[in-house]
Amino acid sequence: MAIFNLKKREIECKVVYYGPGRCGKTTNLEYIFSSYKKQVKGEMVSINTEGDRTLFFDFLPIGLGQIKGCDVRVQLYTVPGQVKYSSTRKLVLRGVDGIVFVADSLEVRREKNMLSLKDLQANLKEYGKSIFKVPLVMQYNKRDLAEQGIPLMSIEQMEKDLNRQLKVPSFQGSAVSGEGVGATLKECLKLTLQSLQREFKWAQ
Amino acid sequence: MDIKQQIKATLQEAEIYRSQGLITEAHARYQNAVKIINSIENLKNKDSLLKAITEKIKALNITQEKVDKGPTTPELSKKAQDLIKNLFTFSDSKDEETAALEGAVALAKFGQFDRALKELNGLLAKDAIRVEAAKNILRCYMASTSTDEAINQYHQWHSGDLFQPQQLETVRGYLVDILQKRGLEANLPSPLGMAAKAAKTVEPVIDIDAPAETEEEFLDITSIGITFDKGPRKGKMVEFDVNFQSGNTLSLIISKKDNDLIDGLEAGTKLKEVQFFSPIAIFNGAGVVVSKTQIKTGPKQGDFCLDIRIVST
Repeated sequence: MAIFNLKKREIECKVVYYGPGRCGKTTNLEYIFSSYKKQVKGEMVSINTEGDRTLFFDFLPIGLGQIKGCDVRVQLYTVPGQVKYSSTRKLVLRGVDGIVFVADSLEVRREKNMLSLKDLQANLKEYGKSIFKVPLVMQYNKRDLAEQGIPLMSIEQMEKDLNRQLKVPSFQGSAVSGEGVGATLKECLKLTLQSLQREFKWAQ
Repeated sequence: MDIKQQIKATLQEAEIYRSQGLITEAHARYQNAVKIINSIENLKNKDSLLKAITEKIKALNITQEKVDKGPTTPELSKKAQDLIKNLFTFSDSKDEETAALEGAVALAKFGQFDRALKELNGLLAKDAIRVEAAKNILRCYMASTSTDEAINQYHQWHSGDLFQPQQLETVRGYLVDILQKRGLEANLPSPLGMAAKAAKTVEPVIDIDAPAETEEEFLDITSIGITFDKGPRKGKMVEFDVNFQSGNTLSLIISKKDNDLIDGLEAGTKLKEVQFFSPIAIFNGAGVVVSKTQIKTGPKQGDFCLDIRIVST
């Protein structure tokens, strides 16, 4: 849940990168950390396990500066994608204000994407939130692998699988090269701040 | 695509999946490559190719094993633990003691039991949160070591003088509940003395079956609505925030200003109409007041701590 300090005119919100294991959530944050130095307000913390998999979460604080007379700070998190870390995923999702769902474009990961989206919906529901109402953006990651002849799903296929009902903004991405990373985050922040404006009327 | 190209493409695909950490997918592709290679009779370097792929598969199996057997909750650095405390304490309470308790509970939720226990033990000195700290200490022992450890801890508390009798009785009730749900029985001495104990045993037993879920499976209840059947709010539902939850026992801190509201709610009072608000759903059920304690010291001095156990939903 965003923290709004009326006196200091500060708002702090939470954006979570969600998606199946190895889809590129941490890579998204790493790219943001290395490329948006002006906005980054602290170290990126990653708690990894064997094979460089996220164990608990990654955390990166960023600042957007003054927006409509308010100092806006954002905490970016990733969840552990592996199925066995279900309870940690739920903990990290608590108090979320906006979500980036990172889907893996590899054909072989089609089912994992759908299961992860379903898991997101279930976890949001447990916090009394609807996936249809929470600020949400999709990123179809790993598009660069097509150049190497790896079978990828078409964007149409991914839209049909994941975004047919949600109809949220979606972006093609390659978190390794940074393609689409900024655009995805920017759109998610826009939706999140708009949603918080409806709730808190924070903008002057 | 000719057969050589097919093998090359399959192996390339497998290699990329491996580099992406997609072990199962890489494994399947290597196996596929083996099948293709085996189907060709006069392939040059067939044996060396198969040997190389077998090595790759072996390496994948080792990685998979490491991933599977990797610790689910390793002990983290102090810095990481501090971050967890800082990031996963959600209370907007300015009360330092409550915030400290939430921080310790957050550590426990992320499996950082050693430090959680250390901090919770430190919080036992604070009267207002002693009972909650004690309950969470027991939970930590149950999750990290053993039930025996939790029972031993209770016996230590019982033989000491840190707790007021009513506080320790609440802790005892909590531990007995958990043990019963696990099908265990322990003869935990009551701090209230034999007379009080006897009086307690003749109290009507809750006639509603205890929920079948294990202790950890209870939903987080954020608030409850109690419909009063007597007093100034008779017939009306009043909503209370849940300050702490341990399994099916909810603790509410009720301001002394609202004393009239809970005047009739004494230990043992059955609450037939309770609405439980959880993030997942709102559901109706019943509860029983386990204890009502007036906080003697600290910033919430004079307020009441009401423990309610959910008995049916």
